[in-house]
Amino acid sequence: MESLVKRWKTSQIALWTVLLLLLIFITAPIFYAVIASFKTNMEIFNSPFSLPKSWNFDNYINAWNLGNFKQYFLNSALITVGGMLIVALVACPAGYAFAQLSFKGSNLLFYMFLLGMSLPIQAIIIPIFFQLKTMGLVNTLTGVTLVSSGLALPFSIFLMRNTFRDIPKELRESAAMDGAGEWRTFWSVILPLAKPGLVALLIFTFMNIWNDFLLPLVLLVNPEKFTISLGLYSFQGEQTTNFGLIFGGTVISMIPSIIVYILFQRSFVEGMTDGANK
Amino acid sequence: MNLNDSTSSLEMDLKKNLSLVKGKNKLKLKKLITILSFLLPALILYSIFMLIPMFDAVRYSFFDWDGAAPSMNFVGFENYIKLADDKIFLKALSHNLLWVVLSLILMVIPTLVLAVLISRVKKGKTFFRAGFYLPSVLSLAVVGVLWSKIYDPMMGPINVFLKSIGLENLAKNWLGEPFYVIPALVIASTWAFYGLYMILFLAGLQNINHELYEAADLDGAGPIRKFWSITVPSLRNTLNVVISMVIINSLKGFALIWIMTQGGPFYMSELVSTYVYKAAFSMNKVSYATAGSVVLGIIVIVFTIAFNYYRERSEN
Repeated sequence: MESLVKRWKTSQIALWTVLLLLLIFITAPIFYAVIASFKTNMEIFNSPFSLPKSWNFDNYINAWNLGNFKQYFLNSALITVGGMLIVALVACPAGYAFAQLSFKGSNLLFYMFLLGMSLPIQAIIIPIFFQLKTMGLVNTLTGVTLVSSGLALPFSIFLMRNTFRDIPKELRESAAMDGAGEWRTFWSVILPLAKPGLVALLIFTFMNIWNDFLLPLVLLVNPEKFTISLGLYSFQGEQTTNFGLIFGGTVISMIPSIIVYILFQRSFVEGMTDGANK
Repeated sequence: MNLNDSTSSLEMDLKKNLSLVKGKNKLKLKKLITILSFLLPALILYSIFMLIPMFDAVRYSFFDWDGAAPSMNFVGFENYIKLADDKIFLKALSHNLLWVVLSLILMVIPTLVLAVLISRVKKGKTFFRAGFYLPSVLSLAVVGVLWSKIYDPMMGPINVFLKSIGLENLAKNWLGEPFYVIPALVIASTWAFYGLYMILFLAGLQNINHELYEAADLDGAGPIRKFWSITVPSLRNTLNVVISMVIINSLKGFALIWIMTQGGPFYMSELVSTYVYKAAFSMNKVSYATAGSVVLGIIVIVFTIAFNYYRERSEN
């Protein structure tokens, strides 16, 4: 018996060691970038794998101010927060209607929204650009916010419909008996129960819009309007050989999504598994 | 009198019925308005930025238009016929295919093995799951910039390392040589995307009946045997989902390629999406590019529908 426990322990230790080494190997590029962001260009070239001689924040300060990451950060924040608000306000009622209100053509309409989920955005990005052009919204943050919200809708409605479907219909019916209108029921009875789904929706929307590259690339022209992803891309184009500075900008770009991930790790994993399996 | 009575009562009945019908209609109308109020914002936003662009994409593809001219010339299927003759477009399509195959090889089984290893850990499972997911949190712009520096022929850590251990011959210009560029890009994209599949596998592994493994232990089956004859068949549904997602995401690839190579060198890493982007926004061949993007969209949608059909059939 004792030897069995021992054997089990050694196999666990071996497993741990293998996984830990693998984890270090796979996340090495991230650590490499963080370490290099504290180095000067000379240091990166001469001793790429050692720790920096001194932890100086010059690359961050220069990227933030001279590289204009300050502005990119603000633009991304505006677009992302605006998009999250619009998506939540639009997708929740729609998901609720599909899940709880029965009406003719509900399935057909729902499939019409689902169609957008499998469609690659590249297939419609050109007409979107011209659509926005006729609306006079090319090269505006408003335009990017609206398009991002629109494109996020299919998945968001799908997610919220699944969330609301898991809430028993009896709740709605008894609220109706008490004389509450449909909106009142939705707002004060059902929505509070859908909180986990709503949190997942907000996290997904945050990640998608904050990390998006294609839409800002196509829709924004003026560097003053660039988002953090687009800004990083144009920054590396200007500073091709200035590795330290580029890594400073890269790390600045990573920080928000990593923080959100660490804070909401749980809802992340659950939301993802639910989304794919339903 | 009698007759009158009965007619009047009949009239009364009719009136009653009519007002009931009217009331019902009113109720119906009210219900319709309520439902619309829930759906209308979504419908409007979705129509403006997805439905209309979908129709427009198909419409543009039948015209000759540079994006600026006030009028469009109808040309029928000419754009599609030209595409079928366009060597670069065909090359891009074949690269998409190669990208799919390489992604499947790199992504599916290695990620499954990783998930199995993580699922065997007794203490610290969450730590490993969170740690291995980390690359997937980063934006593709970050991944693209990071990996272009890693592959840098002069200062990139890969080549610096190879040179420092005396393997100069192996130090290549990873993103600059035709033979290496697509595999190098696929490795970067695998790094960015495997996390999602790992989580899906981990969720699937939780549902496998443990008694199966115990029975196999009694039969003296080794770990590799158990992997192929228990784990893989039990995960069939998860594997289906993962494989289809890998294929669809590979066809959708754009950001990484655009950031790292812009399709170069000499179109060697051109995908349909990058080619279409160039054609539309730097060569002003808007309608032609749209036709190319419609082809890509149709491939993805047909594949998705076929896959869902297959999945529903195999699950029932």
